[in-house]
Amino acid sequence: MKLAQALFVLRRVLRSLRELVWTHLLTSGTMAMTLFIFGGFLLIQENLQGLLRGWGSRIQIFAYLENGLSPADLQSLAAEVRAYPEVESVRFVSKTEAWESFKKTLGTQSGVLEGLPPDILPSSLEIALQRAHRQRASVAGIAQRLRGIKGVGEVEYPDEWIEKLSLLVLGVQWAKWILGGFLFLATMLIVGSTVKLAILARKDEIEIMQLVGAPAGLIKAPFIVEGMVQGIVGASLALGVLWLLYLLARYHLPASLAILPSGDQLQFLDAAAASLLVFLGWLLGAGGSWFSLRRFLKTW
Amino acid sequence: MEKFARNEPALWMIQLFRVSKIYPPNYPALTDIHLHIEKGEFVFVSGPSGAGKTTLLRLLFREEEATEGQIIVNGRNITRLNGARVARLRQAIGLVFQEFKLLPSMSALENVALAAEVVGMSRTESRRRAFHLLRELGLKDKHDARPPTLSGGEQQRVAIARALVNDPILVLADEPTGNLDAEMAEETMRLFLKIHEKGTTIIIATHDSGLLRRFQHRVVLLQRGRLMADSKTAGRSMVSKVEP
Ligand SMILES: Nc1ncnc2c1ncn2[C@@H]1O[C@H](COP(=O)(O)OP(=O)(O)O)[C@@H](O)[C@H]1O
Ligand SMILES: [Mg+2]
Repeated sequence: MKLAQALFVLRRVLRSLRELVWTHLLTSGTMAMTLFIFGGFLLIQENLQGLLRGWGSRIQIFAYLENGLSPADLQSLAAEVRAYPEVESVRFVSKTEAWESFKKTLGTQSGVLEGLPPDILPSSLEIALQRAHRQRASVAGIAQRLRGIKGVGEVEYPDEWIEKLSLLVLGVQWAKWILGGFLFLATMLIVGSTVKLAILARKDEIEIMQLVGAPAGLIKAPFIVEGMVQGIVGASLALGVLWLLYLLARYHLPASLAILPSGDQLQFLDAAAASLLVFLGWLLGAGGSWFSLRRFLKTW
Repeated sequence: MEKFARNEPALWMIQLFRVSKIYPPNYPALTDIHLHIEKGEFVFVSGPSGAGKTTLLRLLFREEEATEGQIIVNGRNITRLNGARVARLRQAIGLVFQEFKLLPSMSALENVALAAEVVGMSRTESRRRAFHLLRELGLKDKHDARPPTLSGGEQQRVAIARALVNDPILVLADEPTGNLDAEMAEETMRLFLKIHEKGTTIIIATHDSGLLRRFQHRVVLLQRGRLMADSKTAGRSMVSKVEP
């Protein structure tokens, strides 16, 4: 396409955006709704994942030790575990320490322990894992290996809620794509029909351009560029509304509703997610226009 | 861009070899047309309504595709063309219609300039050319007028200016005087003659036999999709047979 033709397209797009500003805004608004819902899922997913990471930092494996190990045995055992590549740190909890902390947990009811020998609880290793390994498969694998070590009795790790939270994240992830996919298609059809209206409104102009020998690309380009602009504006609208809701949730959610561990804050979409949303808007607009043009423009 | 109207030493502007057009499902609008038109000729395509005149022109600017036969325009076979080549063919042809086909929301000048702009001429140059053409065609004061405010004759002159803005080698006009009163029809025809004098090949489809008598040029007579007579091969006497 020659420069003169590109300028021609630009002028037409600007004219159309100016003259049909409300039509274009309406289409942008439609796209914004779809992108808002998709972006909402993204936001929820991102925060759940943050939650998972936060809780994950407190995932520890407890390896209870058998009675009668010598200090030297304990030393070498702890050293062996510390040498695992997945392990971040190992803390030894002596029988006495375990007893004290158990008593503390029971608080005022610690009277029930009266008369029991203070070495009734086993000593243990508290094993924290490296970030990359704070997931079920790794945890289970390491626990299995620990069980095989001589001197280690029971091995425990918090299992259920990691799994449940992971499932929730997975669910949101899928819902995002499935629901988002349906909405995307529906919006594309809506965009397609507004482009169809735009084509019908400019039917005579298009016919004349075709008759005087305008290249097909020149005739289509303004519609596609308009669609892209609509999509990007729609995505920006969606991001704006999400941002407002995010601020609202962050500062006005009652503390009792806060599911996040204290100190953690709700996160907004990161740059990649925001770009994804804008890209989807762009695609929505360009794709809707392109499909519609294919169906409504005469070709040879 | 490859220019369709490249220098072509041959004699013929248009050659139709046994061309037929059948509209779906099976309506034969043109049957077995064999017709040659020289460069620089002025030809009337005539015949009663429904004879196939419009169809013949539409085949030439590739709005329709021939069902059978071959069509050569300026030495190029246009029987089968892809979209890009159709566009290029049309850049070399000026089209004029009975209903003018002007855009009511644009001024006369913009209507003319649009045709040049979309094929790649700069906006300034397009408007300059449109300005000169309109002046040449006697529409000096009407540059900024919108078509609905113009008379039929003026609108047709704007349309002719648009047809000429890309320096066509061939002008096709389908009933260009159909919506005009006698006086304006006369004026419009004189315009076509003027364009013809500059060497442009002109083909005018009309069912108005009055025009054929007043302007003595080659007449090709269609009837029910068949080429019934051609004054070039039969002499002028046939014109009298063309009463509607
Ligand atoms: N697109 C079309 N589909 C079907 N039949 C058509 C179409 N266009 C024209 N026809 C028919 O073809 C015949 C020739 O039409 P046309 O070329 O318009 O004749 P003319 O211009 O001489 O009046 C007419 O009978 C018309 O009804
Ligand atoms: Mg006709």
